Amino acid sequence: MTLFDIFDPKAPPKPIGIDLGTTHSIVASLRDGRPYALTTCDGTGLLPSVVYYGRGGNVVVGEVAKAHALREPESTIVSVKRFMGRGADDPQTRALGAYKFVEPRTEEEARTVRFDVGDRVVTPVEVSAEILRSLKQSAVDQLTNVGGAVITVPAYFDDAQRQATRDAGRLAGLEVLRLLNEPTAAALAYGLDKRRNGVFVVFDLGGGTFDVTILLLDDGVFQVKSTGGDSALGGDDIDRLIAERMLPVMGFGADESVSPEIVNLVLDAARQAKHALTDRTEVEVQLPARGGDQRVFRLSRAELDEWMQPLMERAGRVCRRALRDAGVGPGEVDGVILVGGSTRVPRVRSYVAELFGREALGDIDPERVVAYGAAIQAELLSKESDEVLLLDVLPLSLGIETMGGGVDKILPRNTTIPAGAKSTFTTYADNQTGFEIHVVQGERELAQDCRSLAKFSLRGIPPMPAGLARLEVEFHVDENNLLHVTARELTTGKVQSVEVKPSYGLSDDEIEDMLIDALEHGEEDLEARRLADARVEAERVLLATTKSLEVDADLLDADERRNVDAAMDALRRALGQGPEGASGAARKASVVQARLDALDDATHAWAGRRMDRAIQRALAGKGVGDVADEVSGAAGVDAHVAAHRRAKDQGARS
Amino acid sequence: MAAVTPSRSAEGSGTPPLDRGSRSEARRSAGGGDPFDLFQIPPAFELDLEELGRRHRELSRALHPDRYVGRPAAERREALGRAIEVNEAWRVLRDPARRAEVLLQRLGVPTGEESNPPARPEFLMEMMERRESLRALGRAGDLAGVEALSEEVRGQERELLRELGEGFRRALETPEAPVPATLSLRLGELRYLRRFFDEADAFLSD
Ligand SMILES: Nc1ncnc2c1ncn2[C@@H]1O[C@H](COP(=O)(O)OP(=O)(O)O)[C@@H](O)[C@H]1O
Ligand SMILES: [Mg+2]
Repeated sequence: MTLFDIFDPKAPPKPIGIDLGTTHSIVASLRDGRPYALTTCDGTGLLPSVVYYGRGGNVVVGEVAKAHALREPESTIVSVKRFMGRGADDPQTRALGAYKFVEPRTEEEARTVRFDVGDRVVTPVEVSAEILRSLKQSAVDQLTNVGGAVITVPAYFDDAQRQATRDAGRLAGLEVLRLLNEPTAAALAYGLDKRRNGVFVVFDLGGGTFDVTILLLDDGVFQVKSTGGDSALGGDDIDRLIAERMLPVMGFGADESVSPEIVNLVLDAARQAKHALTDRTEVEVQLPARGGDQRVFRLSRAELDEWMQPLMERAGRVCRRALRDAGVGPGEVDGVILVGGSTRVPRVRSYVAELFGREALGDIDPERVVAYGAAIQAELLSKESDEVLLLDVLPLSLGIETMGGGVDKILPRNTTIPAGAKSTFTTYADNQTGFEIHVVQGERELAQDCRSLAKFSLRGIPPMPAGLARLEVEFHVDENNLLHVTARELTTGKVQSVEVKPSYGLSDDEIEDMLIDALEHGEEDLEARRLADARVEAERVLLATTKSLEVDADLLDADERRNVDAAMDALRRALGQGPEGASGAARKASVVQARLDALDDATHAWAGRRMDRAIQRALAGKGVGDVADEVSGAAGVDAHVAAHRRAKDQGARS
Repeated sequence: MAAVTPSRSAEGSGTPPLDRGSRSEARRSAGGGDPFDLFQIPPAFELDLEELGRRHRELSRALHPDRYVGRPAAERREALGRAIEVNEAWRVLRDPARRAEVLLQRLGVPTGEESNPPARPEFLMEMMERRESLRALGRAGDLAGVEALSEEVRGQERELLRELGEGFRRALETPEAPVPATLSLRLGELRYLRRFFDEADAFLSD
């Protein structure tokens, strides 16, 4: 950081990128156009994703928290990412750690895991928010003025897991600019660095998750072709393999239940052995045994390689499917990017080399590359830069349960986002007055095997014979890969509409309540902050509208222009920039917000016309007609079929 | 109140999912118009997909939400809506079956389930046999066999696409002439082949 940055009171806010990892989390920013990791509260660049809940509301994050994990495993949450967006009854949940879970009493409660950490109960969203809050504090200390944040998620995260991550960001008081897929972030860090073009595979094996993504890089366009993964495969599984063999040496039987303290101890020893085997071919570990003895545990790299084989094959299957989805052969890959601490394991590297027939790129630290990419994206978003374009995809198909428990896929996986589609349904019984809609995500054929995202019903349909009512369900997946669902009944002419927010997400009100609880002067502080936020937003909108008027005023008629000018004036007055000066300034956020809304109304139609103009400009110079494939005959059709096969999974399989 | 799971319009066993036609119509209206018009290309079945991809990229550069992060809400909404339309149109245009549907609709031919001509019995017999062999091979874990059979069906698909290409070229050149029923027939057959590939893919990715 230069002195100038520190002392300039008007220094523009610095956007940040955050890799919220299972094992480690990192916050990064750009300096002179290059990404670097900020120092965390531990004084290093990597913050262990561990949160310790002490007595009396004392919360500790990072290396210090990790020290508590051995003695107080139930109050120390590690690998919280594995629980994000998971239901309490999810069979995976129980297998994941030595925690005290709170039994859900209602269906609503069953939608999220809750940990009993001693003197309170916390959710994975709250635990993650603690990690993010710590990272944010580090950023504030080092950057003075922190801007918006890009937070990364595994590409394979479903809607529930993404919602939970975004909620955690908001709860930590971050302005979440974007949720970015980790592999895409890594590709951004590599692609921009070296200006590489071609087909790239990002192979990301972290602590708890595995992601593989196939991208096409072409002069600043990062187009994701396919993505796949396993949200329960990672270095922790290698640790477990070793730990399972350590326990008998320590004198525990195969089926014996072991206390959480011992579990953590043996997992720790296993991890150390694994790390040692990255640099050496053999390792010896001293283990405490029952009765106070010490035992020696010996492990060779060759043995570990063999135990790991099933894990590698799981990863291999995921890779092959991603390649097939992208229509790319292993030989057509121009580069493999390694991400995640577990790609340091020699067997992982050799397996990747076998699979793709080439050595992977390794010039950026695999543990930091994701955070670097996030920081780059945060900067690009803040600058509204057009030199780079990320075209990402929906990782898992979205659909609706149909009669008989099947799934009607409305958006298939690997559809480029933002995406939208509609589907119409009808009643199957005479005089049916309601529809129950169950939104699911996943590739399985039965709804019960997919991830349940939301259930809601649409009522008040007038009685009519079966098959006459027409229900239209519309899905929108936004740029954060988050789903929005709307449903309407069409036949009656009256359009009913419901906006559905998946029920595991926190509502804005809930987030607000939690923020109030967290602040000392709750309500007052929050109102002050809201007003400040609304003012910043108002300034931004006024500036943007003024600029738009400079270029596109001709798209407004005289009446509309008057309305826009009046709405802008009203907003300026609320900011204390009108003829009354500061005395006219609104003291309540709601007043500023109402005038913002009025300006929004006045500019809505105009914005649409400006977009149409943007479309015309984008295609200008591309003469009409050069797309038509003039070549007929076998070659043309062959090329077409080949391209179709390549594009197949991006298109619907109707 | 009898709230029940929505049922899709009837889907008889063994018939291809022709009711998807009505779904595509809905999608089209969601797309705010004709995908050919949105990409400003003349309607045709045979497309240069590389050029289509270039146009998609140019449109995305102009409309992608990443470009509008700090912009007023009205702009963000409008850009997002159009970006979705562009992606949806791109998806339709890259998919031969859905492209054919759009073209038939442009030509005034209904593409819903009821309006489709019945498939030829010989074709149905052949498809049934192929899917039976596919399942036998798949269950036996004979992936090479699945590949070989898929290759055979891919040949048939190429032939179908060629016929559709020719048929649409003629139909679009002479809009006043009646649209031959064979186009809808071939589209129906193309959908059957797709189901075969979906099933084959499921075996191959297991
Ligand atoms: N030198 C190493 N050798 C083997 N494994 C390592 C090494 N360094 C880190 N790991 C493993 O990498 C994993 C953490 O990777 P990371 O990328 O931080 O994961 P995440 O993104 O899931 O937090 C852990 O399982 C850790 O044991
Ligand atoms: Mg990671």
